[in-house]
Amino acid sequence: MVELKNVSVKYSSGVDALNNVSLKINDGDFAFVVGSSGAGKSTMIKLLLKEIDATSGSVSVNGYNLNKLKKRQIPEFRRTLGFVFQDFRLIPSMTVYENIAFVLRVIDAPRKFIKKRVPYVIGLVELQSKMNSYPDELSGGEKQRVAIARALVNDPKLIIADEPTGNIDPELSYEIVELLKGINDCGTTVLMVTHEHDLVRHFGGRIINITDGRIVFDEVIGGINDEA
Amino acid sequence: MKLSGIKYLIDQGTENIWKNKMMAFATFCVLLISLMLVGMAVLFYINIDSIIGGISDKNEIAVFIDDSATQEQIEELGNQLSRIDGVSEVVFESKDEAFQSMMKSMPEYERIFNSLGNDNPLVNGYKVRVHDIDRVTEIIDIIEKMDNIYYIKASQEFVNILMELRRVVTLIATAIIIGLVIVSMIMISNTTKASVFSRREEIQIMKYVGATNGFIRIPFFIEGMITGFFSGAGAFLLTLLTYRSTFSILTENVGVMNVIGLGSIIPFGKIQFYVLGAYILAGAFIGGLGSVLCTRKHINV
Repeated sequence: MVELKNVSVKYSSGVDALNNVSLKINDGDFAFVVGSSGAGKSTMIKLLLKEIDATSGSVSVNGYNLNKLKKRQIPEFRRTLGFVFQDFRLIPSMTVYENIAFVLRVIDAPRKFIKKRVPYVIGLVELQSKMNSYPDELSGGEKQRVAIARALVNDPKLIIADEPTGNIDPELSYEIVELLKGINDCGTTVLMVTHEHDLVRHFGGRIINITDGRIVFDEVIGGINDEA
Repeated sequence: MKLSGIKYLIDQGTENIWKNKMMAFATFCVLLISLMLVGMAVLFYINIDSIIGGISDKNEIAVFIDDSATQEQIEELGNQLSRIDGVSEVVFESKDEAFQSMMKSMPEYERIFNSLGNDNPLVNGYKVRVHDIDRVTEIIDIIEKMDNIYYIKASQEFVNILMELRRVVTLIATAIIIGLVIVSMIMISNTTKASVFSRREEIQIMKYVGATNGFIRIPFFIEGMITGFFSGAGAFLLTLLTYRSTFSILTENVGVMNVIGLGSIIPFGKIQFYVLGAYILAGAFIGGLGSVLCTRKHINV
């Protein structure tokens, strides 16, 4: 569960990135966070990853009170999350398998478990044939599927996807969101940040609109699929 | 952490060298050159110090004994002189031996010497050789307090010149070594920073997936240590070749050896294990620590 209570973030430059934001995303929810550039979306993500601290208000993610979280507890907290970057951020010197297995090695998972779990998630994103390929041998869509598999491999409670369709062809964007929807159907909470309104309209669901650091819209709308 | 986890991190460190071979090679070269520059400067200083030490070894304090001293007292004085810390050799010279020696060194005054007959005006004495030139004044003070001393003679001027020479050489060598260490540290730091910078994204990804700082740093530490180890070994080989060739050029030159004294230049064989150890330890330490310190900037995400 993600809960922000009266959260404000003011940067040292004087910019008010978030202004008295309150938000609650329950376990198992799928929510789109939309807003134009500079609206405060990235600040919200940084806050949820404990990359920055709130100037005021409280932030709670997956049962961790981020206001009270000590520096040495950050790795443990982040292991309860899955994160998908817009620019994929795969380690170029590692194969698809190694990029995903790496997350489990970080948490010191048993080797037997890694050998079983990694091919399983690679199967979920349908990249079995690319298991031993390096990132620069993959297309944009494939790279993002690897990134999703990496976010999924340690069975996180929450996946945060920051503009996951920003660097891929529009037709592949739908595939990526479908994949995230499928993951959400299995019980994982998904928070997807995007500025692609067509995509949001197509899928519908809970839409949170941030403008000038404030939540101006937070409702569930029906998607094109639903209307059909 | 499990044993397999530790093994994984060590493997990662080793593999990273190959994966980032260009940056690893750059670090290797910079570290090798830096170690060699500092190492050669240190060896040069040690040899200059040894040469000065060799010259100062020839310095003597002449201790003349009171004529009233008995044979037992003379022997006791000899023992006391030998026991002084810093004295390398004590040689007795009887007044007769001193007289003969004086006659030999001044044959033109033979008639005057002969006219003295058995009336030898000289006294018995000891020639005291001092190991460390810096302690000559201190040793003279100790001898002065002993019984049956008639007179002490030391070439204070020569001692002072050597002490000044050593002071200046030490000062210059220290300044050069400190300068080289600083330049080397800047060179190493920049190369390591560049190497770590090229992998900053990798570090950030590790942080986002929940890697601890230790998990990120250990492979960098191992990578830096291995690179540093090989740089140390390389610097040793190059130093060995340079030192040996310089040594043979100098020792084959009789004129040079007459000036600086035979045996004043330290043969490489005598110090090779210390040099190898120092190079490898310094290389591994600087390489490992440098890499870890350079990750600090990128690890705080």
